[in-house]
Amino acid sequence: MINRQLIFILIALSVAVPLVIRLGLPNYVTSEVMQVYEEIDQLDSDSVVMISFDHEASSLPEVKPMAVAILRHCFSKNLKVIGFALLAEGTAIGDQILREVAAEHNKVYGKDYVFLGFRPQYQAAILGMGEDIKRVFPQDYKNISLDQIPMMEGIKNYQDISLIISVADGDMPAYWVDYAVSRYHKKVSAAVTAVMATSFYPFLASGQIVGLLGGLKGAAEYEILIEKPGIGQRGMDAQSVSHLMIILLVILGNMGYFLRRRFTG
Amino acid sequence: MQIGTLIAAFLTLCIFSFLYKDNPFYKFAEHLLVGMSVGYILVIAFNTTVTPKLINPIFQEGKIVYIIPGILGLFMFARFLPKYVWLSRISIALIIGAGAGVAIPATIQAKILAQMQATMIDFATVDGIIIFVAVATTLAYFFFSKEHKGWFGATARVGTWFLMIFFGATFGYTIMSRISLLIGRMQFLLGDFLHVIK
Repeated sequence: MINRQLIFILIALSVAVPLVIRLGLPNYVTSEVMQVYEEIDQLDSDSVVMISFDHEASSLPEVKPMAVAILRHCFSKNLKVIGFALLAEGTAIGDQILREVAAEHNKVYGKDYVFLGFRPQYQAAILGMGEDIKRVFPQDYKNISLDQIPMMEGIKNYQDISLIISVADGDMPAYWVDYAVSRYHKKVSAAVTAVMATSFYPFLASGQIVGLLGGLKGAAEYEILIEKPGIGQRGMDAQSVSHLMIILLVILGNMGYFLRRRFTG
Repeated sequence: MQIGTLIAAFLTLCIFSFLYKDNPFYKFAEHLLVGMSVGYILVIAFNTTVTPKLINPIFQEGKIVYIIPGILGLFMFARFLPKYVWLSRISIALIIGAGAGVAIPATIQAKILAQMQATMIDFATVDGIIIFVAVATTLAYFFFSKEHKGWFGATARVGTWFLMIFFGATFGYTIMSRISLLIGRMQFLLGDFLHVIK
């Protein structure tokens, strides 16, 4: 019988050691991540991209690298970004990530990007923005009327948006598919935590979403595409080593089980 | 070192201490998280929803009609008063009615019709055939009006193999997700807190 604390220590070491000693294990780009990249890359400058921070604080280590990589790509292409949150905990996080990445690219609030804050009742919010964004968000996160924000001039609804990206830790992209894709035929991409990724492959296969980023691996792949290594790629060594450790522990556990059954009957 | 980093590191270690065994430090951090989350959500919801969508329209813009949804919202609190609990049912009925009306057609279109269409296309490709066989056999497994014996049982068994593949993939992704969270905390502890990694 292996002590469970020993397993915790082995997993902790398999994560910590590769973070300290860089192994530089290879990583490759999958087609679903490439789709998101290509969709953003082919947009003309000044096109408007909506990023919805549909996640809670607990999933920050997974969603932040994805959001940062996507935003870096958007700002490097001089796209306009509208950020908002449909889950309350994503509000301050979304605002902070947007400000940090915008500052890296010398982008100006209100001219190059805007953060609208949080709205509850996501179905109503997604449907409402298809008619009139200002009716759903009369003011931005700083309580400035949208009429006074230069970037929002001429942006009324989804017709003025080129792409919507839902950065999520739950099934919120499915609601974007339900309402924004089905009803307004808008292009939606999803950047979700790895645990949610399998739920969205059917939407990817059916063409209802354009591309998919799945957790830290998705972020690492996107960082390769934009040629800007970040927290995603730094974590992938640790991810790979810890997975090998888990596979080893599963094999050992099964061997132990079968040996014990053989000798004890 | 910033005070915020110290507090975050202390609370992270408090939560990790549960891996040894349950203890007061873990309980303190857990309760703090729950309390802070609820408080934060309440403040955000009030400031970004109740104020701009209800209070400002009524008191600053004079849109008196907004009183109606305001009153319906207050009815929800009638659940705390046994004598007036029936009032909350009016609001709940409205939410369920409107919610179902909005959700049902959208769900049928996005999750049934579009997915059925995606299952039927690309019959000439290996992927298309695999998708069709997987959907058909999995649906056979969930068809309970015929006993799972003979050819039908064999079909349903193939469906269970596809289900097992799905569960395996989902479990693999779940491990990846949980490890990612651990990596995030380790990066914080070894980087921002201990400065072992740059």
